[in-house]
Amino acid sequence: MGMRFAAGGGREGWIRTALTAAGVALGVAVLLIGASVPTLMDAWHGREKARENLGQEHPPKAGDRTVLYSPADTTFHGERIRGRLIRPDGAHPPVPPGIRRLPGPGRMLVSPALHKLLASPEGALLRDRLHYTTAGVIGDEGLQGPQELTYVAQSDTLRERDGYRVDHFGKSWDPAPMRAPAVVLVIMTCVALMTPVMVFIGTSVRFGNERRERRLAALRLVGADVPTTRRIASGEALFGSLLGLLGGGALFLAARQLASVITLWEINVFPSDVTPALLPAALIVLLVPSAAVLVTLLAQRGITVEPLGIVRNRPPVRRRLWWRLVLPIAGVLLLFPLTREQPWHDTPLNTVRLAAGSTLLLFGVTALLPWLVDAVVGRLRGGPVPWQLAVRRLQLSSGSATRAVSGITVAVAGAIAIHMLMTGMQAGYQAAYAKSGRIPQIGFWGSAADWPQTQQALTSLRATPGVTKVRGTVIANIGRLPAAGVDTSRDVPSTVALGSCAELNRLVHVPSCRDGDVFIAAPAREAARDIGLAPGATIDLNPPRDYGERTAPRPWTIPRAARPAPSRALSDARPFAYDLLVTPAALGADRLSSPDQELRVDFDRSTPDAVEHIRNTAARINPSMFESSSIDNPHDKQYGGVRNALFLGAVITLLLIGAGLIISTVEQLHERRRLLSTLDAYGTRRATLGWSVLWQTTLPVILGLALALACGLTLGALLLVITGSGVTVDWPVVAGMAGIGAAVILFVTALSLPPLWRMMRPEGLRTE
Amino acid sequence: MTPEGSLLAAEGLSKAYGPTPALDGADFSVHPGEVVAVMGPSGSGKSTLLHCLAGIVAPDRGTVRYGPHTLTGLTDAQRSALRRTDFGFVFQFGQLVPELTCLENVALPLRLNGTRRKDAERQARDWLEQLEVEGAAGQRPGEISGGQGQRVAVARALATRPRVIFADEPTGALDSLNGERVLTLLTNAARDTNAAVVLVTHEARVAAYSDREIVVRDGRVKDMAGRI
Repeated sequence: MGMRFAAGGGREGWIRTALTAAGVALGVAVLLIGASVPTLMDAWHGREKARENLGQEHPPKAGDRTVLYSPADTTFHGERIRGRLIRPDGAHPPVPPGIRRLPGPGRMLVSPALHKLLASPEGALLRDRLHYTTAGVIGDEGLQGPQELTYVAQSDTLRERDGYRVDHFGKSWDPAPMRAPAVVLVIMTCVALMTPVMVFIGTSVRFGNERRERRLAALRLVGADVPTTRRIASGEALFGSLLGLLGGGALFLAARQLASVITLWEINVFPSDVTPALLPAALIVLLVPSAAVLVTLLAQRGITVEPLGIVRNRPPVRRRLWWRLVLPIAGVLLLFPLTREQPWHDTPLNTVRLAAGSTLLLFGVTALLPWLVDAVVGRLRGGPVPWQLAVRRLQLSSGSATRAVSGITVAVAGAIAIHMLMTGMQAGYQAAYAKSGRIPQIGFWGSAADWPQTQQALTSLRATPGVTKVRGTVIANIGRLPAAGVDTSRDVPSTVALGSCAELNRLVHVPSCRDGDVFIAAPAREAARDIGLAPGATIDLNPPRDYGERTAPRPWTIPRAARPAPSRALSDARPFAYDLLVTPAALGADRLSSPDQELRVDFDRSTPDAVEHIRNTAARINPSMFESSSIDNPHDKQYGGVRNALFLGAVITLLLIGAGLIISTVEQLHERRRLLSTLDAYGTRRATLGWSVLWQTTLPVILGLALALACGLTLGALLLVITGSGVTVDWPVVAGMAGIGAAVILFVTALSLPPLWRMMRPEGLRTE
Repeated sequence: MTPEGSLLAAEGLSKAYGPTPALDGADFSVHPGEVVAVMGPSGSGKSTLLHCLAGIVAPDRGTVRYGPHTLTGLTDAQRSALRRTDFGFVFQFGQLVPELTCLENVALPLRLNGTRRKDAERQARDWLEQLEVEGAAGQRPGEISGGQGQRVAVARALATRPRVIFADEPTGALDSLNGERVLTLLTNAARDTNAAVVLVTHEARVAAYSDREIVVRDGRVKDMAGRI
């Protein structure tokens, strides 16, 4: 019967059903998205696992079914581009997902997003870098997300030392679990989003209460008992919830389409990957409608439906403070000890403490708010008529206003804390980048064949537009010779730098130098002392690279003529990391174990696209070279994106709460329409009642925002201290939140005025 | 034409709610200090007449004159101002602001007129005393009886010393004893202040408190004393 009332209960019944459905739909959609995060991450990692194989434990021998495979990642205007070079050894090489056949020599397959970028005028410089002919597009199975920039190219010049020989794609590895601060971020985001949604559901099921109560009383008059009326009311709520469930499903399906255009923390996924796991989805389907019914039953707790009307049997509650402090204090007690445990240990127990403490502190404000509103409003006296009407109204019953505002409080407190955490973490990166990024320098590492090749690379880089200075050497690890009972794999590796006198002179002071000279950096680093670097000492040019590894020693005796050379302070402020410096005639690069060429390029910031030109040159030298630079701070973009998304989420949440406030305000006005008509008959100005509505909305919202500010700043500061970041308050965001809160007040008041004025009409005085 | 000496007069008032006519060419007048009972069966148009006379509702046709003013020619804001300063109202129920104390309720019309809070509350306390409900001053409407509530409502209607008091079924929700007491207090206070009272009722015993009775039937007015 309740469901029939919900469907055919007239305009009010439909509005209530629609609002309940809207609230439940939003809740279901948010929960389904939240429940999709683990599967989404699994799918994202899974796609990477399926297509990748950067080396096998037992590399296969070259054969018909093997391929030489090498990373060739690059960055273009701050966007990371995943590149992979291949060179099949035979006619039947393995093929990664999303690709039917490997591209031919000099050809490449690209992701749709990269295809678009290359075809655009902005991609001109990138076309120079990726000089392969585009032979096709990689299918969705070969991409992590639709916005991913990636390519697979066949390179004839790919050498064994640059890549890995593999006989299959797909690798078994476990992604690192989410770090505790990230877990806390997800939990707090869910809490900050879900609380307002629950508040909205609570508000919407109360819409049209007066008429529903009259109807229930009428049912009692014809013989229905109290449990029956409760069942009917629950049935009404259930109908809206079921509609909301369907709507939520539809909303979720629509919202997940947006996944393809959203990139957070460099994660962009396909809409099909945004799928909740079965168990959480089943729980959501069961629990959300039950929650709406529960709210309806709770709303009926304080009333008895009698045949002649409703008896409100709940005496006015005196709100006590002590038990309301339990939640926030418990939260602080869980978090505070973590601030003393520095540095942060990412253990499961600490993660639980952090998540539970943050959630308790956030929920604590919802318990504190009713007391705060009562305590403050109860002390207010006097003032003009609108103020007096609003204050008295709140003194008599602040429940519905406080309920709606508690959503604002949690959302704003959560948003402020999350913003602070993000800003603090971002500030840490910014400081690091500001320190290193002051120096316009870019570095490249790649395998080195010999010194002439490195010299050629240096010449090419020096000829690149915008380049002001280049230094480069061939570097490799050296160690002490293995001896009985000594595990040299545990030694701190020592480094040899091979280069021309001019290049070595950029690293150490060499007053005189000729090809064939050898220098020992002074003062000696600990690693150099350990292996006994000295003129005439014999060292190993093929030391182990991993713990426990045994390598065939490659002894080399340092010439007795080797001279000490004072190390220079490097222009990029990096610590000096060279122990032995040799010229090519003294030691050939071919004798070193896995030698790398290290190229450091200084450039002029004022030259347009200097960095991109340098990257283009580096790609021509060796596309498999790794780049190291502080030019593009990816964290700014990542955190900026997340912070913007959070701000947008907070705005939407506040608008949702605003909608809830409008419902409760209009509902209250509707219940008081006779009184409003009487006041109109007395000649009460519309402005008087308009201001009264404004104050009635403003007071709880301001108190809620103040509480949110206190809670958000406390929680944010605690989280920052715990994560070892400096406490930074993002005041523009705090001001923005307060501004949005003020806008919500005005928005609610403005939308409440038309119904207010409509209800002030004399029709309310008619009794017949 | 306005009857000579009348404070408030209406001529040819017509008002319809949708297809249903509530007033159909009704005439009415009341003199200062006069208590006029407007009687008639349910749905006859009594309340609509009161609402038109008070400027709460604009008639479809006809005019309402109050002193030098033609109410039907005033703007909504001007009519509201007139109601604040010159008219008082007592309704059957639902008229007191539940969150304000009785004292604040009585002071409300004064404060709406710009009287300072303390002055307004002092005057309100006097009126509560006159209406014999001074003990309810600090209580909220929900905490007092119906009879006390109506006395508070009468005190509120009188607080601005209006020239016309409109009372729509003021005792409709009260038992006879309380009803009579409220009417006695209302009419006595009105006579003391020379205020005219338009008393809408369907009870003959209530009409007994009036100086004159008129009957509204099918939207038309019949003056039992033969006057309009």
